[in-house]
Amino acid sequence: MNKKIAKIAMLLSISVVLALIESFIPLFNMIPGIKLGLANIVVVFVIYDLSIKDALYVSILRVILIGILRTGLFSISFFFSLIGALLSVVTMYLVNKITKLSVVGVSICGAIAHSIGQIIVAIIFLSNVNIVYYLPILLISSVVTGLIVGMAAKRLLEYYDNKSIY
Amino acid sequence: MLIKYTIQKVLTYMNKYDIRLIGIVLVIILLILFFTRKDNNYANVYYNDKLILKIDLSIDKEYSVNGYNGIVKLKVKDNKIKVMEETSKMHICSKVDWTNSGVIVCLPNKIVINFSNDELDTVSG
Amino acid sequence: MKKLFVLICMIFLLTGCKTNMYKKSMFYMDTHIEVKLYDIPNETSKKLLKEIDNIYSEYHKLTDRYNEYEGIINVYYLNNVLKVNESIEIDSRLSDIINYGIDAYNKTNGYVNIALGNAVDVWKKYREEGKNIPKTYELLNLNVDIKSINLKDNTFIKKKDVKLDLGSYVKGYVTEIVAKYLEDNECEKYLINAGGNVRVGKSYKSSKYSVGLEEPFNVTNIYDTLLVENMSVVTSGSYQRYYEVDGVNYNHIINPKTLFPDNYTKSVTVVTKDSGYADILSTYLFLLPIEDGIKIVNSLDEVEAIWYADQIYYSESFNIYEQV
Repeated sequence: MNKKIAKIAMLLSISVVLALIESFIPLFNMIPGIKLGLANIVVVFVIYDLSIKDALYVSILRVILIGILRTGLFSISFFFSLIGALLSVVTMYLVNKITKLSVVGVSICGAIAHSIGQIIVAIIFLSNVNIVYYLPILLISSVVTGLIVGMAAKRLLEYYDNKSIY
Repeated sequence: MLIKYTIQKVLTYMNKYDIRLIGIVLVIILLILFFTRKDNNYANVYYNDKLILKIDLSIDKEYSVNGYNGIVKLKVKDNKIKVMEETSKMHICSKVDWTNSGVIVCLPNKIVINFSNDELDTVSG
Repeated sequence: MKKLFVLICMIFLLTGCKTNMYKKSMFYMDTHIEVKLYDIPNETSKKLLKEIDNIYSEYHKLTDRYNEYEGIINVYYLNNVLKVNESIEIDSRLSDIINYGIDAYNKTNGYVNIALGNAVDVWKKYREEGKNIPKTYELLNLNVDIKSINLKDNTFIKKKDVKLDLGSYVKGYVTEIVAKYLEDNECEKYLINAGGNVRVGKSYKSSKYSVGLEEPFNVTNIYDTLLVENMSVVTSGSYQRYYEVDGVNYNHIINPKTLFPDNYTKSVTVVTKDSGYADILSTYLFLLPIEDGIKIVNSLDEVEAIWYADQIYYSESFNIYEQV
């Protein structure tokens, strides 16, 4: 049990660090909603290696910690991240269960869900349906980042599959 | 050559369902792009749900609108529009390039700009 | 599943709703007229458009100054055939439109004068020749006194030789009649353009009708766009019918007080609901210095105007028609 908590804590901190580093790279600040999402490598990993509950923990706690450290707790940005993360994790879990997509496919779905979640929240928050015109850019970026995150997660899973670092 | 190599490498990570998924998503993207990307002659500025300003992009002019945080300044030039100034922490929407299609979203100011191609219904003269 | 839902939503949004539209072009009162009807069944549109053509055609005949029509007592007849002090019964529609003009004379301090026919004729002759302007004595002796016209019920008498010219408001007047006809017949969404005299009903799309204003002497350029609904937009301009002598512009709108055209502005556009009223006001304002015109418009309810002169002038709340 303790081993598990320790493991999750470590993964969480890795996730936070990844997110932090990413937030300092200016490239992804340009367009709202476009980001690499490196922190999600950990989330994807946890979905496969542990359970969905654990994935939710890591995901939500990461958002909160980043909220404290970077974006400001309970700010608009925080809220968006939270919804995006939740939608993403739930989607990935369902997709993994229901379809025959591999890690990469699941990751892409997670990225897309995250983006769509952002758009829906933006539409509700701004009461303006026209934001859907944003989807093309967002979707392309989701596919690309989902691909990268998925590939990285897959390698990690393979690597730790036959080893025990704990 | 390098491209071919990376594509091959990437493909090893995926199974056929993943590839189908990407295919479907790309088709959807193309559909959206097909229906929305074009030169538009009007920019529609919304504050929340309400259309507050309809801008004729053929007239080079500057505009000021009231956003949630303060004034947002817009400029029209060469049939395109750009957000010049806004009161916000990250200044995201003023970083968006000159454009006449797609959407410009200024979340903290609750301003959204989209585009349309409106022909005049008629003229008086 | 999520994606499918979003896709459907988008297709809905993107393709929009296409309204059906039926239109008809006509030529009456020396003007190209276009009528567009929206959101009604094909059969209804045919009936309505036919009747509208009929309305314009009838009024065209009644108010025609230059042609006679068998069996119709029209303006040509009243001007050229009817003798002084001879009384005659006229069609109630013609009598209404003449009374409207007499009323307009009173409301505009005499700047809109239906008895101006004699002066208009002189200027027309000179304009068609294009070389000179009329001499003062040619104009001074003309009778343009509206009191020479006597109209009681439908009996018309002219006390002296006076010629009716209804051109300053007839397009607007008849257009408003057409608008009322459409509304009475359950067609709310329509657009009428009678030679620049625009009348629109309820909009057929999510935004209002967009009406462009032509730049004087450069009409392919639109200098402003208005967004209107249930409104008329009428413009009077010196570029519509004019000629030049020694570099001076002489247009077709004759000032009843001076019997000469004016150049206070290149154009003035009036925005108000009633087309006849808009037509009258646009003629009136065109003959006044801009400052005076602005004061008058500001004092009127639900009327706005824009002048295109050395610069652009606006009435107080004109921008409500430029915004959404």
